[in-house]
Amino acid sequence: MVRIKLSEDLKEEMKKLREEITKLKEQLGEVTEREHEKRHGIYIDVGNRIRDHVEDVMESVTEGIQGELEKSIFIGPGGVRIIRQREPREEDAEAELNFPKAAEVMSALGQEHRLKILKALISGGKYINELQEKLSEITTSTLSSHLKVLEEAGLVVQEKMRGRYLITIPGRTAYKMATRITRFLERGNQECCH
Amino acid sequence: MLPLNYQLDNTILKTMEALTLWQTEKGTVEIGKNTLAVPIKLDDQRKGYIFHGHGKLLLDTIVETQEGALGKPVESELNESFLMLGDIEEPQQHFGTATKEDLKNMGYESEQEFIDKANNLFDQFFRRTRMHSLHCCGNNDGVIFAFPNEAGKLDILIAKGSKLVYKAMNQVFVSKNGKVVLKTPTEVIVSGDNRKSLVIKRIFHGNH
Repeated sequence: MVRIKLSEDLKEEMKKLREEITKLKEQLGEVTEREHEKRHGIYIDVGNRIRDHVEDVMESVTEGIQGELEKSIFIGPGGVRIIRQREPREEDAEAELNFPKAAEVMSALGQEHRLKILKALISGGKYINELQEKLSEITTSTLSSHLKVLEEAGLVVQEKMRGRYLITIPGRTAYKMATRITRFLERGNQECCH
Repeated sequence: MLPLNYQLDNTILKTMEALTLWQTEKGTVEIGKNTLAVPIKLDDQRKGYIFHGHGKLLLDTIVETQEGALGKPVESELNESFLMLGDIEEPQQHFGTATKEDLKNMGYESEQEFIDKANNLFDQFFRRTRMHSLHCCGNNDGVIFAFPNEAGKLDILIAKGSKLVYKAMNQVFVSKNGKVVLKTPTEVIVSGDNRKSLVIKRIFHGNH
């Protein structure tokens, strides 16, 4: 029942989001000629429109998301359970692998310092000096070259204005994957030898 | 309300020094020295410019979520003409009159050639994008940029304080006080200031 309710709520939320995007498109001028004619002559105060629109979008959508995230976790007789959006599909395991890209990502991961950099970024974006403080065993020039490798592999992105480094979704996933594989192997060794 | 009477001046100016036209923690638009400029006027007051020179646009169209960052920064060289509506402080200090040599350096054989190009951009912005009646900028620190893109349309950047809207060929980015909506060809991401986010992915059917 909860699953059905959640699905309906999500549908409603997506409907709202679609409406917001349509509104945004219209306001930025992506209207058809017919719509243009209908609206021709309307006074546009860009300052007010930006303020009102951005506030409307942010308030309505983020409130909705907040609700959804809270509803996504509920406590039932079996304890806390997270409702996943979809079940894992069999074809995921058999999907075509982009070998050069996969090798680039694995190569970027294949260095202890780079794994430590990813771990340091998981808690939030950091400036290079903050990373340097956390990873004092790495020199600044080495840190910069590791960050470049991680950035080229798409595991880290740097803000152009503030200069902070952020871990990307693939970067976080890659770090989790490295953690799981390592734990799995370590467990295997313990079972084997003790 | 009647459409406002924005007009393109026929005076060709040039920048006497490098200028930062807009800058916040999300992005910047800068132009170099000797950039050509034609003022845009409303009731005889300068409300903006059409520029052509060497400059750059930087925009951090990145969304931070609890699962990691999404999106890439926009970093582009501004070597084509683009439009700006908004104030430049003390313009008389920053602009001088452009010479034939300045025009030649930007690839124009005559003043008329540049004026024609500026007129085309002016028309595209004010007529085709319904912007003919907008009441822009000046008193409220707002600024609008229009950059022609590869598809012959305009990428639009609107900024006012912490609010930012950027609409380009392949993305729409809306940001205010750390809250962000990013729409790309494959997904829509909405993120709050606590990094909680919702990602809606477009599912491609068939061979796409």
